[in-house]
Amino acid sequence: MTPDETRARYLETGSGDLAHESERLDLIREVLSTGATWTEPPPQIVDGVLAAVGTGSAKSEQPSPAARSRWPMVTAVVGSAVAVVALIVSTVSVLEDDPADTVLAMTGTELEDEASGTAAVRPTGSGWWIRLDLTGLSPAPEGTYYEGWVWSDDGEGVSIGTFHLRGGEGPVILWSGVEMEDYPSIWVTLEDEDGAAEASDQVVMTGRMPDDEAA
Amino acid sequence: MDPEVLERFRIGDEAAVKAVYDRYGGPVFALSMSILGDHGLAADATQQTFIKAWRAASTYDPERSFAPWVYAIARRTAIDIYRKHSRSVSSDDVDIAVFPPGLETAWEVFEVRSAVDRLPDQERQVVKLSHFDGLTHVEIAAQLDIPVGTVKSRSHRAHQRLSEFLRHVEEA
Repeated sequence: MTPDETRARYLETGSGDLAHESERLDLIREVLSTGATWTEPPPQIVDGVLAAVGTGSAKSEQPSPAARSRWPMVTAVVGSAVAVVALIVSTVSVLEDDPADTVLAMTGTELEDEASGTAAVRPTGSGWWIRLDLTGLSPAPEGTYYEGWVWSDDGEGVSIGTFHLRGGEGPVILWSGVEMEDYPSIWVTLEDEDGAAEASDQVVMTGRMPDDEAA
Repeated sequence: MDPEVLERFRIGDEAAVKAVYDRYGGPVFALSMSILGDHGLAADATQQTFIKAWRAASTYDPERSFAPWVYAIARRTAIDIYRKHSRSVSSDDVDIAVFPPGLETAWEVFEVRSAVDRLPDQERQVVKLSHFDGLTHVEIAAQLDIPVGTVKSRSHRAHQRLSEFLRHVEEA
């Protein structure tokens, strides 16, 4: 019996002449007997990962990997007349949750890595109703505010509203006048009160419509 | 992993991230379970690990093995969650520098899970029934409704593969 065959036999049965290796093989056998080794991850994990990563799909077109940590040159059509964006920031829902809502995971970036939550979206006659239920996102410091964006895979962003959470973590209601199928990613940025119309480079949360809902 | 996949992962390609998750999702989740002992916390740790890995992908050196790199992120993430959770459930104000009980074997759990995930399904099933469920070959044969000889041959092949996949762990 070769050394490899002896090791395999020891792994299988727990016996054999492997004095100097038996401790390591016993550890492997022990690991093979534990539940953690065999537990399957919940399928929604990959959805959450891809939701976070998917928001960066436009970034993958950047010429350099190093550029991914920076905000791409913003081509956002912010406040565009094309995009009829109605802004409502409120801790009061103007519409109740509907089982038919599409719900996507929102994940904090490295700037707010404790933040998590969901975005429920629903088409209405006047645009898309978007409700953010977030936890762990710090209130925006004085002089700043959060801004929600929907983002296309072509790198075009449209503002969907602002909020600051300084009154607590209640749900945030936003509206998009553009189709979520065309703008499948939702980003939240931290903005300075400097009047700039463009998105800042401080992306704090991201999420993306499931592929079967997006175009 | 295919170097091309890793290169695409480095530039944030979504399909490559999915491929990396398919390969390492199980080992990262197993590692997280061994450290955290809680399905929900392990799920959080696993998701955070892959998002962090994607964000840090440009720092990955393709000349080096990918598994230890993602393992290091997973281990650190699980420890952070363990500490935060320990503090949140603590009944006193003492902030103890806690270390999870499963930390010492975390690398072995990661490697063993990686190895069993590489086994053909039929062999993986036999290994699980044997080691985790503690069944004999005869009992496995009865449960799977296959001849005992088939169980023995699958078990033999599976352990040969595991021995090969885990040789570096055995020799560590």
